[in-house]
Amino acid sequence: MKQTLSLCCATLGFLGALLPATLAAQTAEPTTLTIFAAGTLAAPFRQASALFEKKYPNVTVQAQYGGSVMMAKKITDLHQDADLLAVADYNVIPKYMFGSPAHASWYAGFARNAITFVYTDKSKYAGEINSQNWYKVLARPGVEIGRSNPDTDPSGYQTVQMLNLAEKYYNQPGLERSVLANAPPTNMRDTETALISALQLGQIDYLAIYRSDALQHHFKFVDLPGKINLSDPADAAYYLHGVAHTKNGDLAGKPIVYAITIVNGSKNADIAGKYVTLLLGPQGQAVMKNNGFGEFSPAYAVHTEAMPAELKKMVEPWPGS
Amino acid sequence: MSAGVAVEALTLTLGAFRLKELDFALSSGEILVILGPNGAGKSVTLETIAGFHRPDSGRVLIHGRDVSGLPPERRKVGFVVQNFGLFPHLTVAQNVAIARHADRAVAASDPAFPPHGDPAALLGYFGVAHLAERAPQDLSPGEKQRVALARALAGAPDLFLFDEPFSALDAETRDRLRDELKSFLRALAIPAIFVTHNRNDALELADKIVVLREGGIMQSGPVAEVFQKPANSFVARFVGVENILHGRVTELSGGGVTLAVAERTLRAAAPGTPIAARSPVVLSIRTEDVTFCSPCGERAPQSGVNRLEGRVTALRRVGPLLTLAIDCGFPLKAYLLASQFRETKLGVGSAVAAEIAPEAIHLMTE
Amino acid sequence: MDVESMQTHPVIGSWRSRAAPSRPSSLYLLCWFLGSVLLAFLVIPLVALALTQSGTSLADVARMADVRAAIVLSLEGALLSAALAALVGVPLAYALARTAFPGKGVIAALIDLPLAVPHTVAGIALLMVFGRQGFFGEPLQAIGLKFWGTIAGVVVAMLFVSAPYTVNAARIGFEAVDPRLEKIARTLGLGPWRAFMRITLPLARRSIMTGVTLTYARSISEFGAVIILVYYPMTAPVKIYELFLRFGLEQSAAAAVLLLIVSLSLFVLLRTLAQRGAEQRENR
Repeated sequence: MKQTLSLCCATLGFLGALLPATLAAQTAEPTTLTIFAAGTLAAPFRQASALFEKKYPNVTVQAQYGGSVMMAKKITDLHQDADLLAVADYNVIPKYMFGSPAHASWYAGFARNAITFVYTDKSKYAGEINSQNWYKVLARPGVEIGRSNPDTDPSGYQTVQMLNLAEKYYNQPGLERSVLANAPPTNMRDTETALISALQLGQIDYLAIYRSDALQHHFKFVDLPGKINLSDPADAAYYLHGVAHTKNGDLAGKPIVYAITIVNGSKNADIAGKYVTLLLGPQGQAVMKNNGFGEFSPAYAVHTEAMPAELKKMVEPWPGS
Repeated sequence: MSAGVAVEALTLTLGAFRLKELDFALSSGEILVILGPNGAGKSVTLETIAGFHRPDSGRVLIHGRDVSGLPPERRKVGFVVQNFGLFPHLTVAQNVAIARHADRAVAASDPAFPPHGDPAALLGYFGVAHLAERAPQDLSPGEKQRVALARALAGAPDLFLFDEPFSALDAETRDRLRDELKSFLRALAIPAIFVTHNRNDALELADKIVVLREGGIMQSGPVAEVFQKPANSFVARFVGVENILHGRVTELSGGGVTLAVAERTLRAAAPGTPIAARSPVVLSIRTEDVTFCSPCGERAPQSGVNRLEGRVTALRRVGPLLTLAIDCGFPLKAYLLASQFRETKLGVGSAVAAEIAPEAIHLMTE
Repeated sequence: MDVESMQTHPVIGSWRSRAAPSRPSSLYLLCWFLGSVLLAFLVIPLVALALTQSGTSLADVARMADVRAAIVLSLEGALLSAALAALVGVPLAYALARTAFPGKGVIAALIDLPLAVPHTVAGIALLMVFGRQGFFGEPLQAIGLKFWGTIAGVVVAMLFVSAPYTVNAARIGFEAVDPRLEKIARTLGLGPWRAFMRITLPLARRSIMTGVTLTYARSISEFGAVIILVYYPMTAPVKIYELFLRFGLEQSAAAAVLLLIVSLSLFVLLRTLAQRGAEQRENR
């Protein structure tokens, strides 16, 4: 009798110990959402991820930031696992991810940006420069301008396209050459954010970078005309006239649109989709606006047929595609 | 003001260590041994003379000139250290040739000595010319010593300094090298200061001894004097005196002194410095000066010799001799030869009478 | 002396240390085992990388003038960096080895510090000091010495991260030289300089060469600090990275393997020369 009783107690105790574990197993397991994103998206994505994690408490967002092309190649060449890829130039996704094998099947534009020049109090002619005379000031001897490498980075070739457009806009032949003379290869880096410390230390006077970075770092910046700063998708036809000659061929100007996609083969595709929903929705768009990006609402997308249903509802097909 | 060396009132502070007012001198051809325990400051003294430490006060004179302000390379000093310090990355010939050329000849009493610092000739003089292309690691200690001497002489030194060169050698090699060194130094007639903690080195090599303790000189003088008439118990022990006894002066009379040690009475010769009656005194008696007879029979002690009856408490072998420990109211040690041991058939407990001549008893105040 | 007689007639003497052990001890085996593990860990990734290339892919990348220029720039910069490290680091090592002063431990630790600083941070710190408005950079720029985008900048970045190797190895080398040998040299009439050059330096040579070689190797591979100061002209690591961005893994791997082959050949050459020199001295 005693033996049976103690055996029952032992079994009950054992099962009781298992119970919390099984209960825990039945609630959703903690998930990690991996995002590879352009360096300039660091600030807004941290805020968006915080909102996302509050909404979905069992999800941890882990993001890596770097040059758009570098991030894409981590997936295509280095076979690193990511759920989402967000780039500073929407062209990067079809160029690197759509090949065979296809690492992505669609993309959605979710924010705009503009090219600008940032500077500090220490910069030469900081007191003089404005939206009208900027190209004359930047061409003066002794001015050092930093930019990213057009062969490897979007903002690099976007800067050159902008200067090309400016030549036509201001009717100043030679403008592009005279400004680029102050931005020689020694002032280039593979991505523009690497030059921020150089600007702060006074090594360079002006840095070609995105407007969002200017606002985030509280830098002074030059407000360039919308017709040349690649900020408005409505001017897309005009932008095509700005051409950058790079080692990858001649690239025609396109509006700066940040795009995002879910990586093919992601194990967390549905959670990734929820993140994109947040980003394209009012909350995400508010975050982008607060960080100096241009809103993009409604979002444009390419290959909408490949998108998950709930996302398809939020986008419009990209005009012209 | 001759070809000699003098150290005057040399004081030096090196961290927590101090050399206190060192004073000694030696002339050309003399060997001075600095004897002392480890940590006494022997090496520091040598290095100061060579010019590696700047003294707080005092001066060093070599060959009549004050070298106190000169750097080591201008002092013309030959330095030989433990294991001889040959440069391992150079051949024997290169070792000797590295010295900066002497601008004057070395005057030596041996006419066979090559007067100019020619490396090949020096190697030949020391009989090691056939080792010229060898590496120092392949030489025997004896060969190393000769090369070290040749090298030091290539700089035409006015003074030789030896810093315990034999410390790492076995006793037999040590004795052999010491003898060789002595004959070399005699032939060269260059003054030499030799530092050691081994009293046999001092006994064999020294003309003069300086006994050093904790940076201060305990006693300095000719070797016979320091060994026979140590200034205090420390020096006595260091020079190998085994019978150090505490006693009291009872009477001064007849050109001598009567002493009371334990319950016994001893007669000693009058000391050099006057001594008061009834004052405490320390006796120093060298072991070899204690003889004994067993049995003594009818033989009366020679006039004046102290005879003390006692018993053997221990017999110990010390190399070729035996040490006899005798208790005659106070402990005494004496030597005996193996042949004596066989003749007298002594053992622990045997009755013996120790005999000590009055001249053999040396008196110290501490 | 065959194995059986060795075991039945144990002989004491120095020959034993020269002959190989008849049965390797377990300590010996363990050392070799662990050592092989480490060797495999180091060699296999490099071999795997090298095997992705064929002779043609290497030839293709060797044909690219900008790749060749990048490798040459890396080798030149590393050579200057190693030379500077020797020039300035060896005297420092000697001072550390021979003198005792308060705060010596702090200085020795400071020398190790660059090894612990993240490379980007090091680069930014160097830019702060050697840049256009830097404490040294500004006056030096006035006399024509620039560090932004020049080989001088490459050398500065390389030197910062790799100098500790020379200093540490040289210090150990000097500490192993018996100071009494230097003293003896002085008494033989050699002044402090001559004694250092003829006695101390030759005896510490091997350690110093090891340190300088490490500095050289480390300089070739530096990326993070260099790229802050100098993106163009490109050193080999920067070029490899740019190739990866522009093309992809295959081409950047080809350039990387080319760099490895050049570096390896150089090191083997250096080591062989050093070994020959040492043997010549011993056989004399």
